[in-house]
Amino acid sequence: MEKEIIFEAKHMRKEFGPTIALKDVDFTLRRGEIRGLVGENGSGKSTIMSIASGMQPATKGEMFYKGQPWKPGSMVEAQDAGISMILQEANTIPGVTVAQNIFSGHEAEFSKFGIISMPKMKKAAQKVLESFGIGHIKAGDLIDQYTFEDRKLVELVRCVTDQTEILVVDETTTALSLEGREILYKLIHKMADQGKAIVFVSHDMDEILEQCTDLTVLRDGDIIGHLTREEMDAPDAVKTIRYMMVGREIGDKYYREDYDTSHGAEVALELQDVSLGKIKHFNLKLHKGEIIGMGGLSGCGMHDIGRIAYGLEKLSGGKVLRNGKEIRTPLQAINSGVGYISKNRDTEALILNGPIQDNIVLPSIPALEKKTFISPRAEKKLSDREIGNYRIKCHGGRQYVNTLSGGNKQKVSFGKWTAKGSEVIIMDCPTRGVDIGVKQAMYTLIEDMKKEGKAILMISEELSELIGMADRLIIMKDFEVTHQVERNPDLKQTDLIEYMI
Amino acid sequence: MTAIAQEREKQTLQQWLKKHGSSVASIGGLLFCAVFFTITTGLKGESIWSASKLSTLIGDVIVTALMAVGAVFIYSLGNMDVSIGKQVGLYSTLLVLIGNATGSLPIAILACLVIAVIIGIINGSAGELLHMYSVISSVVFMMVLSGISTIIYSNLGTRNISMNPGIDLTLFRQPWFMVLVLAVETAVISYFFYFTKFGKYARAIGANQTATSQSGVNIILYRVIPYIFLAVCLVTASLFQMGYTGAASDSTGTGFEMNVMVSLILGGMPLKGGMKSKVACAIIGSLTFSLLAVGLPIIGVPTKMTFLIKAIIFLAVVLITCRQKSGPLPR
Repeated sequence: MEKEIIFEAKHMRKEFGPTIALKDVDFTLRRGEIRGLVGENGSGKSTIMSIASGMQPATKGEMFYKGQPWKPGSMVEAQDAGISMILQEANTIPGVTVAQNIFSGHEAEFSKFGIISMPKMKKAAQKVLESFGIGHIKAGDLIDQYTFEDRKLVELVRCVTDQTEILVVDETTTALSLEGREILYKLIHKMADQGKAIVFVSHDMDEILEQCTDLTVLRDGDIIGHLTREEMDAPDAVKTIRYMMVGREIGDKYYREDYDTSHGAEVALELQDVSLGKIKHFNLKLHKGEIIGMGGLSGCGMHDIGRIAYGLEKLSGGKVLRNGKEIRTPLQAINSGVGYISKNRDTEALILNGPIQDNIVLPSIPALEKKTFISPRAEKKLSDREIGNYRIKCHGGRQYVNTLSGGNKQKVSFGKWTAKGSEVIIMDCPTRGVDIGVKQAMYTLIEDMKKEGKAILMISEELSELIGMADRLIIMKDFEVTHQVERNPDLKQTDLIEYMI
Repeated sequence: MTAIAQEREKQTLQQWLKKHGSSVASIGGLLFCAVFFTITTGLKGESIWSASKLSTLIGDVIVTALMAVGAVFIYSLGNMDVSIGKQVGLYSTLLVLIGNATGSLPIAILACLVIAVIIGIINGSAGELLHMYSVISSVVFMMVLSGISTIIYSNLGTRNISMNPGIDLTLFRQPWFMVLVLAVETAVISYFFYFTKFGKYARAIGANQTATSQSGVNIILYRVIPYIFLAVCLVTASLFQMGYTGAASDSTGTGFEMNVMVSLILGGMPLKGGMKSKVACAIIGSLTFSLLAVGLPIIGVPTKMTFLIKAIIFLAVVLITCRQKSGPLPR
């Protein structure tokens, strides 16, 4: 028997100026479903649910929620009615406590004669946190002292109440640590069992296939197809879904296909006995033409290793060496041919509010300089070369980076370092929030870099891409290396997870 | 024309306006003032473009414009400097004192430039090294300079000093020379701002300091250098300020920092700094500001009212150009 329909959208259309995000979409959601929504960047997958949850109105079309016409005026209105959405971006209020974040908008529940009882609120918040299994977050603490991952969990706690009927999880898992993800997965399955509905928007195909009961694929503002659980379990499901998303055969080749771990004998970058905070006496030798993958939970220290290798941190011991010279600052790193792509692309790797060209040439400015003069023609030539090589979708180098899609932004941050001719590239979460089509192109690019003899330190929270790309894999846990393994065809994620948790 | 083509044209116009809105507002503001005063002062029988008024206009615009052009670097960092007026006061005083003591204006200028560069370095690095907001460190700096000026004038036992008549300052009162110096300064600053790493790094730091630092830019160094450019431009401005009257006093330069700020904002300078900062903002803004200052009294607006009118115009421009627009972005 088909389950009761909880939400329905008919002929939904959404335009942003000249861009059409949704063409004419019919979408039905039933109780007990965990519905995956996949599609490339700009396919409209986030837009559907952002309209349903009151973030923005549709241009055309109608919606029904629990059988009644539905037209929310704001996200708060939608949340009170039972539709909650957890967004991609950080959405907590800085400068106040965890408890104040959880109960923002509901302060009246804890107040008498206009005065809020903070101890009462704190107690209630702590109880909720415990019930979600994240008691390590203390309700009385300032939200700012928690990591991005923990703040995301606080957001989850704030969004989900007993009244929540539909929970929309929009690309949230990329911002969560593995433990955080487990908490989220447990929660959505529990909610589905209670007859609520979940919409799961994600780029991570493995996650979608593992967690969802149904799947809807979007492309260019249209719904392309629908897969049931049985169809998702079919042997070539991933290939089918990718084909539906991209609209063309992207081929079987995704990660590297060879298992040749040979590389140059020359050491390109060496971390010698480095210590920083909880990281003690860490050693690493990265060779020319080698890809070293580093994996672990997000707080395991692997991201710090990337920053250390680039000279961003003041070490308490040991040194970072390149060609026998010590690297202490990013400037020294760059001058010796090291590039770094931060995992925080929008805040650290790119100047969003600036042209593509200025971003690409920024590290190369000293090289372009002739007696203080920097020729605009030389800048344009360099930038156009990278735009062409990476096939960055844009009108030209003067276009602002904040108008690009996530994948194209990431290409710009890659372009910065290839323009500079970096020989060693440290990439922290290089494919975070990037479509599969672009991901595939990036993996090919990383493989080409290896062939050119570039040394790559690839830090990632996605084990599958590390297994797929690295010559040697280092797993870290609690700031220590717990496992090292050479590239081989039999390597599986499950073999590695035990060393991470 | 079909409806679709019309719609597309409308959207292209909207996008163009979104991108160039602040330039349109600032240039539009200048053109409006120019046309408005041409007509109204003409009706009053004393055209703003008459030789005498034009020379007043140039005399009014020169000091503000010379300062504002130098301040473009600072504002592009997203910084603000409220010690500008006191610096001009001190440099004017030093020009007179050193000029009188040595009997040579070139020596006075050179000595002043050396002092200005030192002051620029201290002014720029104080905020960086002490991790303060630049505006706060410049307030402290303003107070220090006030103190120095008070000590100088109380030691001299007077509140104003004049340049020895033996030193000829007539050149600094010539409109053609004012225009020439402003043109040269604008060209030099534009070169450094657009075609060298100093300007490129300053704008990049203003737009995203972390990303700029991770691209290998020494943030402290390139945050301090703009203050040196400013200091040199302030000495140039002081020359014309002092040269106009041949004197300096303990109140010379008072409030100039506000004139610079208002001019830059009128010219469309983004207060957050960054990639949209332009040298032209300084020129456009100073011209608008001076047109108002010279034009309003001619059309019979009492001097007591001019501040209010300037404030209203300033508010209107700020509302058009500097206001934050937010809303959900398409994804």
